[in-house]
Amino acid sequence: MSEIYIAFIVRKPIPSIAVFITLLPLILLVVRKAYLDPSFKLLLFYLFAKLVIDLIMLHSASLHRNNLIFYNLSIPLFYALLSGMFYYKINSQSYKRLLTFTMVGFAAFTIWDIFHSNSELNDMHNHRAVLYSMTVQGVLIIAIILLYFYEIIKSLQIPNLLTFPFFWVCSGLLLYFSSLIFIAPVLHYTATWNNSIDLGIIRTIPFIFEILCAVLFSVGIYYFPLKDYAKQ
Amino acid sequence: MQNSEELKWALLIASLAMLTMAFCMISFVMYYQKRRFEEEKKINDIEKNYNRLLLDTALNSEETERRRIAQDLHDDIGTMLSLTKLSLNQLNKLVSKIGDDKQDLIMKKSQSLVEETILHVRRITRDLVPTTLERFGLMEAIEEFINKLEEDNNLVISFHSNTEEFPRQGQKLELTLYRIMQELVNNAIKHASCSKIDISLEVDDQFIGLRVTDNGVGFDPEKIKENNLAGLGLLGIESRLSIVNGTMQYERPSSGGSSAFAQIPVMPIPENKPEPLHPFRRERVNI
Ligand SMILES: Nc1ncnc2c1ncn2[C@@H]1O[C@H](COP(=O)(O)OP(=O)(O)OP(=O)(O)O)[C@@H](O)[C@H]1O
Ligand SMILES: [Mg+2]
Repeated sequence: MSEIYIAFIVRKPIPSIAVFITLLPLILLVVRKAYLDPSFKLLLFYLFAKLVIDLIMLHSASLHRNNLIFYNLSIPLFYALLSGMFYYKINSQSYKRLLTFTMVGFAAFTIWDIFHSNSELNDMHNHRAVLYSMTVQGVLIIAIILLYFYEIIKSLQIPNLLTFPFFWVCSGLLLYFSSLIFIAPVLHYTATWNNSIDLGIIRTIPFIFEILCAVLFSVGIYYFPLKDYAKQ
Repeated sequence: MQNSEELKWALLIASLAMLTMAFCMISFVMYYQKRRFEEEKKINDIEKNYNRLLLDTALNSEETERRRIAQDLHDDIGTMLSLTKLSLNQLNKLVSKIGDDKQDLIMKKSQSLVEETILHVRRITRDLVPTTLERFGLMEAIEEFINKLEEDNNLVISFHSNTEEFPRQGQKLELTLYRIMQELVNNAIKHASCSKIDISLEVDDQFIGLRVTDNGVGFDPEKIKENNLAGLGLLGIESRLSIVNGTMQYERPSSGGSSAFAQIPVMPIPENKPEPLHPFRRERVNI
């Protein structure tokens, strides 16, 4: 059984690293007790869910089964967790309300998108990636991050951004979603069984930035002060 | 095939452009935040300095005003009184020649009244301007202050310091300490209903500490600040201290009463004595 995985990992090293690197921020988060902060608690859930879903996908991919349904379903879940993180960090009440609306609206949109992208839902073998949702998610997250940056600059409460954990988290997410925004819709057409186009290097860019994102998360969590963070 | 090659290039360029933008965004936020933080700090510093200057000026002008009043009292009223005394003396000679007892009595009374008024004016001028402080330093000034108080109160006021010879400090520092001491002792007399006041002065090469302890009813400075009960006294002490970077602590000793401790960092005395800001002898204007 394990040869199948090893064969897959050897065949696709970068996507595999992208799966396992999630362990790094996850472990750091637990060791440094960063989950005491509500935002980082959600980050913990996000990383954990991501790890589980990635492992499941890796499992089914190595068995040559279609795993895209997990990819599709993870999108609204991840969006809820990530935007939830910002819910605790953003001060303005109206932004918070807006965030909650986007969470619900985006979940509905993704479900519509899944139906729209798959005319035959029962046919699991030919399930396809969603066309719009990933890009919309990227746009939303980037918009939220920019809003958050705007608040940081305006409120002037953080003396040094380089040692501020959440800034690293934001940077990681910003880079990751920027790398994905244009490539995600293409996956709808290319990630099929009888696909003739091989995206090559372009397909690996999001994985590289997924790895970078995990590293940036880890740096941020590393700066997490062990005690007294809750006061902040 | 040609088409998909072109599509790949387009995708690559678009993604790279997006990533570059993200990078720029992050760096911009970092840079801009730092800049604004520094600016804000600078503005805060300027504001703080300005407030301090304002306070300093206010206190200085208060002292100047005291000096002016003292000088006017001394020069005008004092001189007049001396002249009045002289005239009365001459009048006295004339009156005693006549030898009327009643007139003599009134004469004596007027003379003693004028004498008393002269003493009062002298006392008031000296209270207004602590000349002893300027001439002989803090220790002498405090001792004089105590002696004067003990004369007309049945209070025991003790004073000690950890050095025999208290080194002269800058004029401002001495005046600040003196005024604080004055207010603390006045407060103790006014509010504490105590029988003993203890003043002590501690100097080392970094700080000058002034402690005033009484054995009266005691008070809670926090409560007074919260309830806005503080008069001008305690607030004045705070503002005087803020100019010289001093700190104030109130304690409640277990033996009862209250104890106030002011600490001021020693400032180097300027070598070449600058022109006194508010010279006692002011140019008289002749009209
Ligand atoms: N040594 C003390 N013992 C007991 N209470 C004190 C003592 N010193 C100050 N207080 C209390 O603190 C209050 C504030 O004192 P503060 O010197 O600021 O005002 P004040 O003496 O009432 O008025 P001012 O000094 O302006 O003439 C006083 O009203 C008094 O109740
Ligand atoms: Mg008072």
